[in-house]
Amino acid sequence: MASNWRSAETAQLYLNRHKIPVIWDIDTRALVLHIRKVGALRGMVSTDGTPADQLVYEAKQLPLMAGQELAGRVSCRNAYEWQKGSIELATSPWAEQMGESGASPEATKCKVVAYDYGIKQNILRLLVDHHCEVTVVPANTSAEDVLALRPNGVFLSNGPGDPEPVTYAVENIRKLAGRVPVFGICLGHQLCGLALGGKTFKLKFGHHGSNHPVKNLLTNQVEITAQNHGFCVDPDSLPSSEVEITHLNLNDNTNEGMRSKTVPLFSVQYHPEASPGPHDSHYLFTQFTDMMKEFASPGSSRG
Amino acid sequence: MPKRKDIKKILIIGSGPIIIGQACEFDYSGAQACKALRAEGYEVVLVNSNPATIMTDPELAHRTYVEPLTKEYLEEILIKEKPDALLPTVGGQTALNLAVELAEGGILEKHNVEMIGASLRAIKVAEDRLWFKDACRKIGLEVPASALVNNAQDAMRLCDQLGFPLVIRPSFTLGGTGGAIAYNKEEFSEAISHALDMSPVHEALVEESVLGWKEFELEVMRDFRDNFVVICTIENLDPMGVHTGDSITVAPAQTLTDKEYQRMRDAAAAIIREVGVETGGSNVQFAVNPENGRMVVIEMNPRVSRSSALASKATGFPIAKIAARLAVGMALDEIPNDITQKTPACFEPTIDYVVVKIPKWQFEKFPGSDSALGTQMKSVGEVMSIGRTFKEALQKGVRSLEPSTPWRAPAETPDSLLREKLATPRPDRIHWILTAVDRGLPAAEICELTKIDPWFIHQIEELTAIHRRAASVTVETASKDLLREAKRVGASDEQLAQIWKTTPAVVRLQRARYGVSPVFKRVDTCAAEFESFTPYMYSTYEDEDESSPTQKPKIMILGSGPNRIGQGIEFDYCCCHASYALRADGFESIMVNCNPETVSTDYDTSDRLYFEPLTLEDVLAIVEREKPAGVIVQFGGQTPLNLALELKRNGVPIVGTAPESIDLAEDRRRFGRLLEELRIPQPRNGTALVPEEAARVAGEIGLPVLVRPSYVLGGRAMVIAYDVNTVQEYVAQAALMGPARPVLIDQFLEEATEVDVDALADGTDVVIGGIMEHIEEAGVHSGDSSCVLPPVSLSPKILDTIRDYTKRLALALKVVGLMNVQYAIQRDTVYVLEVNPRASRTVPYVSKATGVPLAKIGARLMVGRRLADMKLPLVHSNGVAEVATHEFYSVKSPVFPFNKFRGVDTILGPEMRSTGEVMGISTSYGQAFAKAQLAAGQKLPSSGTVFISVNDRDKRQVGAIGKELVSMGFKIVATRGTAAALHAAHVACEEVYKVNEGRPNIVDLIKTGKVNLVINTPLGRESFYDEKSIRRAAIRYNIPCITTLSAAHAAVRGIHALIELQREVACLQDLHRNRVAASGSPGNGD
Repeated sequence: MASNWRSAETAQLYLNRHKIPVIWDIDTRALVLHIRKVGALRGMVSTDGTPADQLVYEAKQLPLMAGQELAGRVSCRNAYEWQKGSIELATSPWAEQMGESGASPEATKCKVVAYDYGIKQNILRLLVDHHCEVTVVPANTSAEDVLALRPNGVFLSNGPGDPEPVTYAVENIRKLAGRVPVFGICLGHQLCGLALGGKTFKLKFGHHGSNHPVKNLLTNQVEITAQNHGFCVDPDSLPSSEVEITHLNLNDNTNEGMRSKTVPLFSVQYHPEASPGPHDSHYLFTQFTDMMKEFASPGSSRG
Repeated sequence: MPKRKDIKKILIIGSGPIIIGQACEFDYSGAQACKALRAEGYEVVLVNSNPATIMTDPELAHRTYVEPLTKEYLEEILIKEKPDALLPTVGGQTALNLAVELAEGGILEKHNVEMIGASLRAIKVAEDRLWFKDACRKIGLEVPASALVNNAQDAMRLCDQLGFPLVIRPSFTLGGTGGAIAYNKEEFSEAISHALDMSPVHEALVEESVLGWKEFELEVMRDFRDNFVVICTIENLDPMGVHTGDSITVAPAQTLTDKEYQRMRDAAAAIIREVGVETGGSNVQFAVNPENGRMVVIEMNPRVSRSSALASKATGFPIAKIAARLAVGMALDEIPNDITQKTPACFEPTIDYVVVKIPKWQFEKFPGSDSALGTQMKSVGEVMSIGRTFKEALQKGVRSLEPSTPWRAPAETPDSLLREKLATPRPDRIHWILTAVDRGLPAAEICELTKIDPWFIHQIEELTAIHRRAASVTVETASKDLLREAKRVGASDEQLAQIWKTTPAVVRLQRARYGVSPVFKRVDTCAAEFESFTPYMYSTYEDEDESSPTQKPKIMILGSGPNRIGQGIEFDYCCCHASYALRADGFESIMVNCNPETVSTDYDTSDRLYFEPLTLEDVLAIVEREKPAGVIVQFGGQTPLNLALELKRNGVPIVGTAPESIDLAEDRRRFGRLLEELRIPQPRNGTALVPEEAARVAGEIGLPVLVRPSYVLGGRAMVIAYDVNTVQEYVAQAALMGPARPVLIDQFLEEATEVDVDALADGTDVVIGGIMEHIEEAGVHSGDSSCVLPPVSLSPKILDTIRDYTKRLALALKVVGLMNVQYAIQRDTVYVLEVNPRASRTVPYVSKATGVPLAKIGARLMVGRRLADMKLPLVHSNGVAEVATHEFYSVKSPVFPFNKFRGVDTILGPEMRSTGEVMGISTSYGQAFAKAQLAAGQKLPSSGTVFISVNDRDKRQVGAIGKELVSMGFKIVATRGTAAALHAAHVACEEVYKVNEGRPNIVDLIKTGKVNLVINTPLGRESFYDEKSIRRAAIRYNIPCITTLSAAHAAVRGIHALIELQREVACLQDLHRNRVAASGSPGNGD
């Protein structure tokens, strides 16, 4: 059933259309408590009456997430341009005052190349909202090819799984850093961590959901953030002379963000673009465009 | 930044008496604030006129003032205590208004007191509708089009511009008092003049209607670092047009898309910033047009509210406690989350369940009032329920109300009536929706008529479908799957028994055979992501049980359910005290209750909390899981008592006075026999099932008689009958109302004085806790009568008789714990009216007046401790021990909700109608009375005109009162007979017409403001209508109205005190310390 003026079809039809299985009517708390106790697990969903023992056996045969290079598998095959901005609700005249849509329409456009490691569309929409011309490129695009597009900035997207096996991406980031401003989210953040000389590790059951308090250590303010990651950058592994820790998760004190002290690069572990999710961290997109403008003509955009 | 060091002493203002729109949620929030600030090392000074609150327990604050909440008394306290800061945001609108008065009057500045938690500017911007709208527009948010008016002409012009319907909201009133919706000019003109009258500043807002729009509330917090979090979203099932306090509400919001929700969240953040609430909690209300998603801001409360209490209970996030800490400069990320302990309070709770709140109304107490729901709140209480789905929570909520099963409209109800019932929101609308769905009315039509979101109607359709499937089988043939499915959507055994035409016990048995039983899940703020350390549970039908009961010795306390007139905060106070005492004694205390407003449902109060309906089924499920050593049913009023016998039959160990004794005291015949054996007089009485029998019984007893149904609380549907016809009509009516339970007919003792006694007993010893003399005449319900402790006019001989009877009754009924006895004294004879071997409404008042916590001691006696071991400050008289009283008087006065029910007869009678109470304390009886009257909102005049009209018996004494009044400079007007009596006593007075004698009559004088005090003792039936109109006018125009000569004496003494005495304030800690010092023994058994 549908009950919203924007509704075009029911959730059931939508999911059918995209062939997405749905699980419902289970004791979700029991499931969460189990995962909390034993950590993230491989799982299997079946509707055909296969005995549970068999399913457990099959699940155990599945490869572990650690050590797998998954980003390349979900990335687009060819580069493409993205032009759509955020979905506007009927009325949101306040959006401008709240810093949602950035500067005036005639603002200078920033050319951004976005690496697709499994990119979320809302990141692209927000980049467009912030007056970026966006080209999305496959995960394995070389740094040289990216620079050839003469971007004002490079964006490193979120993506699935373990960052360590994505070595080509780490290599590319090392080449890009310093040549062009870089902003990374989630897997993009972890890849930056590796590129800056740090290490990553796997969390027991990861961070998921849209209510994680993250403290911005530069402003001392707390943002409510959406999170979805199983791996984490170890802040102690980063060279403190080169990297500044900027964000901290208040639930478990894990790293949530950093910036380079030497080159225009910053990244966050959480999802500032999340939809569904709070808008507290949209300022990071402005920070990115400011950084691009500053890099293009040093000293001119502030004031 | 850590907490502020520059302030040391903080004054907290409470919310005063319980009234509609401002109930015990502010005791909950105030008590939390006291505890939090104390824990942070501040010295806390508290003022609240309501003695029935937990917050006024002497342990909560360092200095507790039970004083009237007026500017003048507050200033006295400021002078005496010299606090550094004032926290005005946890005592409801009352505290906020008072703080504004103090700030604007320069009083805070004069005494160097800083307002914390909200600035004067923030309060003004949020509270002033125009300023608020401007603030919203400034940040680009939409608000409904509107204008403020202060006269009827402007208002009428406005309605031509805006078109109908229009909403009218008076400025600065509580709970939407005086608000209305007008659909045409006539309604509008009436509503606007009422609204202007109700507004203390004679101002009202006329507004574009957003009727039928979806309504949402966000409970938000902000700290000085500008950290902002949403604690809870609440969706109103009833759309815009019904006051949120009168709406069924659901948390979290169910029908918003994330885009819509985030827009709302951003808007709430922008508003709290723009208004300038720098630290603390606020509530922001929005309306969303279902047609196009247009969102408008409705209002904001810059303080903790009824909704924030609900949100705290719904999420496990204690908003008031955190708000208090923020007010002293702490940041959200510096405060730990109580429940997870390891994560900070700076987060947004995740709710993996659905919470439903349903209001409780009592229109039956106010015959003649309109039960249609609108923008003015009329409910007196609420229940909250928790389920894993909306369906489950809704059904649990419905059964948390009493009566506990949804009713169905009779089959012959025509569809046209059904449609009318759906279109006009009234308390029973949810039942009509169930009926309509059941009958197959299309969902689209139900949505159109009710404007309720289709999602909710769809849920109800799914629910009904399961019921229908159940109806196609029997209890024996129902499959396990079907039974489980029905239980999963919240169907009670009782509902299933009705469907299957069997008893709940049979359904229960079948469930046991199939192994279909509930599990208990935890409210943990984080959807199980982190470990929870606070056992706050609700039942559901799923796989895993998270309750993990302990092996400790434990006592379970059954709470009192939704607040009602006659069963309110006083019983919750008793339940909390039982929990505190037993915890202190090493028991694990387990609380069961479904009222989100209360302190008892704070997860801090007991070791374990079950937020569950108080029905046999739900309580038994908890008992089975926890296996408590004892269950206390005597502290929560009638709700748990009604379960006592059934629980006992099911093997539940009830501690304290046996349910059989409670039953005996309620059973007129058996109780009558007991009194005969004890040779204790009671009014002549009988029972009747049919009108003829009633006529005969009334004849034998002699008129007037008091008639009432058996098993009542708060005197529901009691009347005093002066003729046989009334008696017969009453019995005929009662027979229509329900199953054959006899009607009780008692001799009515005219011109008697009533006395309430609270006592403690352990089976061997009896201690009188307090003897309270009613100031109003017998016949006024004890809950509606002012009373004084210690008594002022009873002779030592009478008092000794009362003591003797009380002791013998307690022993004969084998009372273990608390007992309350009501007596009437008529011409030196002491009659027993009623014995209740349980906690009573007066327990908190007596405890505050004497400093001896009766409920705590009662609970200890119930688990086997002895009075002899308690070291109580006692005196003995006539061989009976009694708690020593003080050198001061404590007067309790009731507060009525008549201003919410226009057109209702305000005459006091045997039916209780007050919602709350206040207490006045002073060394002089007069001043104590004057303070209580003032605290109750009745300001005794110190000059002006007094109207006197008394009955013949009182005419002998009226001269003395008249003389005193004249000597104090009052002018007197009186009706003919009274005027003659006054003249005879050489008292100057002017004669005035009675209502039926011509004009201008007394009511005209009251209406034109020419009378400042009314003294009117009832003459009986012949002048009934005259008195009714006088009283109604007096209450409408807020003129004190005295109805007995004893109260008139008290008032005269009060006026004396007002004129001659200095305003004096004293805190409970000092008052009780003086007594303890005098009697040389410790105050209580802690």
